[in-house]
Amino acid sequence: MKVKDRLRRLTGERIETPGSPPDKEVITELRKKIQAILERSPVGSTPKDARYTGGSVRLEQVITGEEVRTPQGMFFFSRTVFTDTTYHGIMRIGDFPRIGMDSLGILAKNPVISLHEPCHALFLDTETTGLSGGTGTFPFLVGLGWFEGDHFITCQLFARDFSEEKALLSFLQELSSDKKFLVTFNGKAYDLPLLASRYILNRLEDPFLGKEHLDLLHPCRRLLGHRLENTRLATLESSILGLNRRGDIPGFEIPQRYFDWLRRRDGRLMEDVFEHNRIDVISMAAITKHLSDLLDGSLATQSVPGVDLFCVARLHLERGNTDASRSLLEGLLCSPDTGVAKQARETLSLLHKKAGRWNEAVVIWEKMLEDDVLDIFASVELAKWCEHRVSDYDRAIQLVSRVLEQHPFLSEELQWSLEYRLRRLLRRTLRKHPTEGS
Amino acid sequence: MTVLNTSREGRVQEIMTTQTVSQWVERRNNDRRFREHVTAMHHIPASQGSYAPFPDWVQPRLKEVLLGRGIKVLYTHQAQAMNIIRSGRDVVLVTPTASGKTLCYNLPVLQHILEKPETRALYLFPTKALAQDQMHEIHGLIGELKADIRTFTYDGDTPDEARQSIRKQGHVVVTNPDMLHTGIMPHHTKWQKLFANLQYVVVDELHVYRGVFGSHLTNVFRRLKRICRFYGTDPIFICCSATVANPKEHAENLLERPVELIDKSGAPSAEKTFILYNPPIINRELGIRQSAITPARKIAADLIANQIQTIMFTTSRLNVEVLTKYLKDTFRGRTPVNDRFVSGYRGGYLPNLRREIEKGLRDREVMGVVSTNALELGIDIGDMEACIMAGYPGSIASTWQQAGRAGRRMGHSLALLIARSTPIDQFIVENPEFFFSRSPEHCRVNPDNLLILLHHIKSAAFELPFERGELFGGEELEELLGYLEEKGVLHRVDQRWHWSAQSYPADEVSLRCVNPENIVVIDTTETGAPNVIAEVDWDSAFTTVYEGAIYMVESQQYHVDTLDLERRKAYVRKVDGDYYTDAMTYTNVRVIDDFDETLHGRIIVEHGEVEVVRKVVGYKKIKFYTSENVGYGDVTLPQKDMHTTSYWFTIPWDLLNTLPIRREEIIDGLKGLAHALHHIAAVLLMADIRDIDRAIGDKSGQWYVRHGRDSRVILTAPDGEDAGSEVMVDAYDPTIFIFDAYPGGIGFSNLLFEQHTGLVASATALINSCGCEHGCPMCVGPVLEAGPSAKDAARLILSLFDVP
Repeated sequence: MKVKDRLRRLTGERIETPGSPPDKEVITELRKKIQAILERSPVGSTPKDARYTGGSVRLEQVITGEEVRTPQGMFFFSRTVFTDTTYHGIMRIGDFPRIGMDSLGILAKNPVISLHEPCHALFLDTETTGLSGGTGTFPFLVGLGWFEGDHFITCQLFARDFSEEKALLSFLQELSSDKKFLVTFNGKAYDLPLLASRYILNRLEDPFLGKEHLDLLHPCRRLLGHRLENTRLATLESSILGLNRRGDIPGFEIPQRYFDWLRRRDGRLMEDVFEHNRIDVISMAAITKHLSDLLDGSLATQSVPGVDLFCVARLHLERGNTDASRSLLEGLLCSPDTGVAKQARETLSLLHKKAGRWNEAVVIWEKMLEDDVLDIFASVELAKWCEHRVSDYDRAIQLVSRVLEQHPFLSEELQWSLEYRLRRLLRRTLRKHPTEGS
Repeated sequence: MTVLNTSREGRVQEIMTTQTVSQWVERRNNDRRFREHVTAMHHIPASQGSYAPFPDWVQPRLKEVLLGRGIKVLYTHQAQAMNIIRSGRDVVLVTPTASGKTLCYNLPVLQHILEKPETRALYLFPTKALAQDQMHEIHGLIGELKADIRTFTYDGDTPDEARQSIRKQGHVVVTNPDMLHTGIMPHHTKWQKLFANLQYVVVDELHVYRGVFGSHLTNVFRRLKRICRFYGTDPIFICCSATVANPKEHAENLLERPVELIDKSGAPSAEKTFILYNPPIINRELGIRQSAITPARKIAADLIANQIQTIMFTTSRLNVEVLTKYLKDTFRGRTPVNDRFVSGYRGGYLPNLRREIEKGLRDREVMGVVSTNALELGIDIGDMEACIMAGYPGSIASTWQQAGRAGRRMGHSLALLIARSTPIDQFIVENPEFFFSRSPEHCRVNPDNLLILLHHIKSAAFELPFERGELFGGEELEELLGYLEEKGVLHRVDQRWHWSAQSYPADEVSLRCVNPENIVVIDTTETGAPNVIAEVDWDSAFTTVYEGAIYMVESQQYHVDTLDLERRKAYVRKVDGDYYTDAMTYTNVRVIDDFDETLHGRIIVEHGEVEVVRKVVGYKKIKFYTSENVGYGDVTLPQKDMHTTSYWFTIPWDLLNTLPIRREEIIDGLKGLAHALHHIAAVLLMADIRDIDRAIGDKSGQWYVRHGRDSRVILTAPDGEDAGSEVMVDAYDPTIFIFDAYPGGIGFSNLLFEQHTGLVASATALINSCGCEHGCPMCVGPVLEAGPSAKDAARLILSLFDVP
């Protein structure tokens, strides 16, 4: 009997048993859908391929592009120019190339990047056959973007079949050779390891190995994440760029689209995948511009939430740019967002304290107590100052005991440390004025 | 010998006379009441070691380290193995515990890394505990070498941060087959450095990889070799196995290429006494014996009181704790000992505690240690003097491994195996010659089982596309690729097959179990607070958590309200009833293809492919203690059909009719015989009893034997009607089937066919040596099930096997 028939008999009888692949796939499929529904804004998402009932349509008919022939074989290539006057959400393409390279260096935590020019940036995003990772995941569409003058160019390299991968990858080597650094969104964890794996499988050299890389995901989390429900690209687009995609293909449907394409070769199947990828690439450029502006301070201050600026100040502080941090914090001291104002005061006062600018620090603490007489941070800092710098134990005792007596919510740990401080202060006063002790 | 045992105050507190192992054995040998339960006392004399110098290629610094450890010369098997490995051939080592096998691979591996620092090696161990132990061992060597050689374990516990550096820098990566299968090979590009420089693959505990696990592992190796070919490497495999009947054949089956066998140990061995002990029968009618824990506790207490350091193995983690507690209690009142005087020691204990116990053993502050199985044990446990096994460890190979924990180097040691009331335990202790002669245990694999093969073809395609003309496994690869192409998971272009699905195929298969899907048992007693209390594997769910069943967890009874197969959940609630339930199932086997046939006397023995239909038809309610049948329930679950391989034999009616018993008794006898054969087959195959199954019927599936409501055996036709018709039954001769419980078969049936004579002889020995009167779970099955005449009838039927 033929192997296939034997196999059918073996598997056919396992219909009732679970774990047969189709079952499992249905479940993962379902999970993915649920996940996507939870994550996505409600955009009309009638399955597009429901329309594709007629004969198939050639790729060239729906996507501007052409077949590229290389010594390694062929693949499909699409290039689009977005002129300077085009808008992407609220952002004008023509403004994109004016990026502060110093800011990018700070964002990437890599000063080498600041040595380059905006036109050296290569924006990159891939579409793949799965999200599980591993050597069996195939990046069939590689979207690239860069600045040319005031325009933004996107290039999309599409492998119409697995056999076109080698040509695609070697072309990508060439395309990227004159670009000095990469900009991606989660590329460090996803796109680049995947491409590295494909270069190994095709026995080609990985052009991205050792290339400078700004992964926008991490700065976005740092600077914007605290006020957004998540830091997915789509969320950033709608809240930062004012861009709402309409009829966009959900990411989880993309692998199946490609498998359908492999079977049916209908260009319409890939149409919105190309579109999706292109928007991703432009959005990366737009976000890069936004983050750079945020760091440069070139955004109109009133349009930026104070909390973003506070995060920027903290980032500057961490990178050792105290002056930039200080001026940002000073601007935030009277922020209408009281939470931000308080954090800014605390941070700035500590900055002053560390630099030995005690007067400036004390002014802030006193101001904080003026606003809230039970402010723990200010009470403690001021008490420390009184105790260690000016030996004003009475004031210190007063500050600490006021909090202890009147503050309604003290954690056990805090209470313990305040009491400890108070006891020490009392001992010191006793030593200083032994006769006054009771 | 007299020992003065002094307390802290220096006052002589107790004087006791202690015995050496030899004296203890002699005293017990003369103790009539002890001897009564001993079925064998086997003395193994000490033997001299045979030695060989270090091969001349060994680097001086490596030699120095070994000299520093007191290794001045090698055992012959070590030198032999090292030279084979050095010459680039694969090897399987079969030598006893503590014969220095780890050096056999560590030395050539380290030597190679010293010569060529980019060299990589992969070590595979079946358990994490063993992998950890190996790490300590090789770390020690490397530390003394003062060389920059990096060794890491890579398993599910490895932190993410560490993974990247392990992939790039690990010279020796220690892992398990499961991790290789799901975590390493599907990401081989990240492991480029390892695969591109892989010189050695070390596979320890080779005998563990048998049956389903071994069939999977063969395919894992096929994939490994395929990936290595991509990177231009062809590593040498170094395997170690416990003593089994076919180590070379097994290694060659797993690696699918010639392997050199080394099975003559050059290590000296000390004198050892091996005792097989069968506890007294406490219920003759049911053939039930005293629990193995009871004598284990008494004997261990006696040994320890004699200052004989003792290790005890039990068959479950619960028993470890029970036995430890008993022994702690025994000594607590008696001598001023610390609480660690007797200790448990098993996986799940924290490393610190384990190190503390190991140290206590070396310092002889810990005199007794209780553990579950040898695979969980550290290497650094010192030389124990006595080993007590409370319950047969499941295979002869692992029994010797456990026994080897005592007396690893010097002096007279003792090993004592105490049988439980199970057929296999009873067979082993009652048939010592079976145990002490050449190993009867065979490792079998069937890597070309289509279902297993297909899973790995998927995983392999995920790793690297298949090219036309490539070979993988023993079946027509292109047909299988075509099948997967039809299913849409592979896509063919230009003579290559690419993985074209979103899933990660390695995650779909577990190497160790048949069906990774489990049924979750949920306690709904408290409304609004459902609680998961257990997981039952798919196959046993049909017989344990059907609707109406009483499911028991730690003696709490739960009533199964609903079994939702689709969502894999069983909903139960606590009850306090006076009965438990027992599923009534039927199994019907029909022969599809007959691979081979021989005639033994007048009995026709065959093996081949069969179709098995199993169904749970109902259940009995059985009262606790009295075992009264107090009611029935119906079960409506889908029947399970399976194609698999089977061994079977047929006894003609005209031969059976010569026996002076009635037809019903004959059927009872056949059923009892099948029970015994099933268990013996599991011993020969080193298989779990559930890995194989049995049935009685006729070859065409026209009738088969099942339980009736009155607990008696009846004959039934496949449509479920009782086959009243004598004529029909007469027309077909009864056949006993022992079949693979895994769809497609796992290679057991062929072996049983070859071993038919031995199998029947062993079953005869099992039934004849059993101490029960009319049958018990240890031979032909419980009387209530097998029928009152089953044992006698089975013996009569066995007498027919000699009729020419």
